[in-house]
Amino acid sequence: MSGQTHILLVDDEASLREPLAEYLTKQGFRVQQASDASQARSVMNAFNFDIILLDIMMPGEDGLSFCRHVREKTETPVIFISAKGEELERIVGLELGADDYVTKPFSPRELVARIKVVLRRTNNGNGINPGSGSIYQFSGWTLKTDQRSLIDGEGVAVPLSSGEYQMLLALLSRAGQVLNRDQLLDITQGREAHAFDRAVDNQVSRLRRKIEADPKNPEIIKTVWGGGYVLAGDVKTL
Amino acid sequence: MKRLLPKSLIGQLLALVAITLLIAQAINIVLLYRGAQNQKIVEASVSAVGRITGEVERINERGFRERRVRRDGSPRVRRNRPNITAQSSIEAGQRRLPAVEERAARAFDNMGIDVRAVEVVLVDMVPANMTNSVIGLGRERRRLRAIGYRGTVNEIDGYIIMSAQIADGQWLNIASAVRDRNPKLVRTLFFQTAVIYLILMIPLIWLGRYISRPLKALTKGAQDFKPGASDPIEESGPPDTKQLIAAFNDMNGRVGAMLDEKDVMLGAIGHDLRTPLAALRVRVESVDDDNERERMIAGIDDMDRTLDDILSLARLGRTDETAEPTDISALIETVADEYSDMGEHVSFTRSGRITANIRATLIRRALRNLIGNAVKYGKQAAITVDKTDDKLLIHVDDSGQGIPENQMEAMFEPFVRAEISRNRETGGSGLGLTLARAIVRDHGGDVVLQNREEGGLRASLILNLN
Repeated sequence: MSGQTHILLVDDEASLREPLAEYLTKQGFRVQQASDASQARSVMNAFNFDIILLDIMMPGEDGLSFCRHVREKTETPVIFISAKGEELERIVGLELGADDYVTKPFSPRELVARIKVVLRRTNNGNGINPGSGSIYQFSGWTLKTDQRSLIDGEGVAVPLSSGEYQMLLALLSRAGQVLNRDQLLDITQGREAHAFDRAVDNQVSRLRRKIEADPKNPEIIKTVWGGGYVLAGDVKTL
Repeated sequence: MKRLLPKSLIGQLLALVAITLLIAQAINIVLLYRGAQNQKIVEASVSAVGRITGEVERINERGFRERRVRRDGSPRVRRNRPNITAQSSIEAGQRRLPAVEERAARAFDNMGIDVRAVEVVLVDMVPANMTNSVIGLGRERRRLRAIGYRGTVNEIDGYIIMSAQIADGQWLNIASAVRDRNPKLVRTLFFQTAVIYLILMIPLIWLGRYISRPLKALTKGAQDFKPGASDPIEESGPPDTKQLIAAFNDMNGRVGAMLDEKDVMLGAIGHDLRTPLAALRVRVESVDDDNERERMIAGIDDMDRTLDDILSLARLGRTDETAEPTDISALIETVADEYSDMGEHVSFTRSGRITANIRATLIRRALRNLIGNAVKYGKQAAITVDKTDDKLLIHVDDSGQGIPENQMEAMFEPFVRAEISRNRETGGSGLGLTLARAIVRDHGGDVVLQNREEGGLRASLILNLN
């Protein structure tokens, strides 16, 4: 086997599955296709996969049920491809142990970026999504990963953009560890920084406005001069 | 008058019964009272007839005799016997009682007493010339000898005077006290009415509750009606009401089933349209011409947003998301950042923390639509927040041309777009404002538009706090 990432793509719609497989192959992945859950099971017996892209709504056994099956057997990360953008669907998917989701129609480039993020996370030893979701508590705040919600000490939800959420999660899961801009971009977006990239600084300053008592003198997300950012203070993981 | 009417079924029922009963009792009281009045006079006249008959018989038997005198020469008083005069002692203008006169004449006739004429009047006081010819007065002249009903002393309620002309043309005159046998009659009748009321009230109140309680439950059920999610209402009360509740529950079930069907259909539409859209989106990546590709992507994104708006609008009110206290400033900031990241001019200055109970995903969508409109049609969006005691106003101001006043409300109609947007081919579903208003109204607030004095349009999202 080469060092190519091996993807299992499960979707009943050939019209989407085939061009997507083609696109991913062009991007340098090795792609195996399955049109339903039972076919996917037999393919999984024959090959080892690095990641599974799974449609939720399929005839026969649906994606959610198949995801549960995958979780029982292997540690292969799963990204859901869903036609439903409903919030509930996302939560259910993430609770079942999916690592991420994209909703149709998605940008194939974004899908590739997400595949890279998930793979980097699992390869870095942070493991796959444990399923029930983790709860981080820090400086009076609570971050619930299954609902992607940030709640303050008074129970008030503070909405985050997905970029801010990824940034906060990256810092929280590596609390006390100084992360430079390249590392943060890599973890959150699966890409490398180009020159004068302000994306990380932007996200951090937005996060600070939302969670710091005084964004000008941050107590939670601290800047390390010449290094990057670090999440200070105690973090409890439940 | 309308305001005085009881509002509830039971209140109206009670009022109706009370009024009907009152009328019936009033008629009853009047009849009884008049009957009793008549009875008193008849009683008095019967004794008067008796005395006159006695006197006539005495005269027939012994002949007419001059009044005897005492030894000292004073006339002997023949107490309580008719006096005899040449003329009737009844004067004109007194209140005659023709019914009694007729009755007395018949009585004399029946007894074979020859009486030519009878005159009867009702008076308050016995005239001075008749003080010795009064039936029913004791020595004290005011008290009755007879002991009245249930140990009470009967009051005297006036007198009748009867004058009868006998065969020789003389008149026998006698007064007879009208005795009030039951002076408490009216009080008794009122007491009786009250008792009937009380006895009637108990079953009536019970009946009213029996009828109105299930109706109230039904009303509440209809007010709180959430299609498909409401529990069926307990079938209770009279058979008619039970049938009504059963029919309502049935309807509830049918509406729920219809909405479920609609949701399934919408899900299918969403799925069936998004999958080919997704396929198209993937294929577009292989288009080499950058310009062409970006345009195609924009087209697909636009279609996706329209589809999203339509589905959201159709699903509104059926969302599973629950309202939670949310930091509104952070929410606005998140949406504003989205647009600044796309290179739009959006400004928002955070002004302390404001929390409200909202379904954040939906309000975020409403805000996104308002800000999206502002940057699309009005070059920029300046967001400010106003907070009153019970309201939160989020103003989104743009620097566009505004909207003519007469088209303002039409902007909220689905698929209606302002002239300027159609001319510029800016796209959009025409559902943005419709959806924003529907979402905010679902939260108990509203979205309103107004032209700013400085030019440009102000879209305000108004939320009720608490």
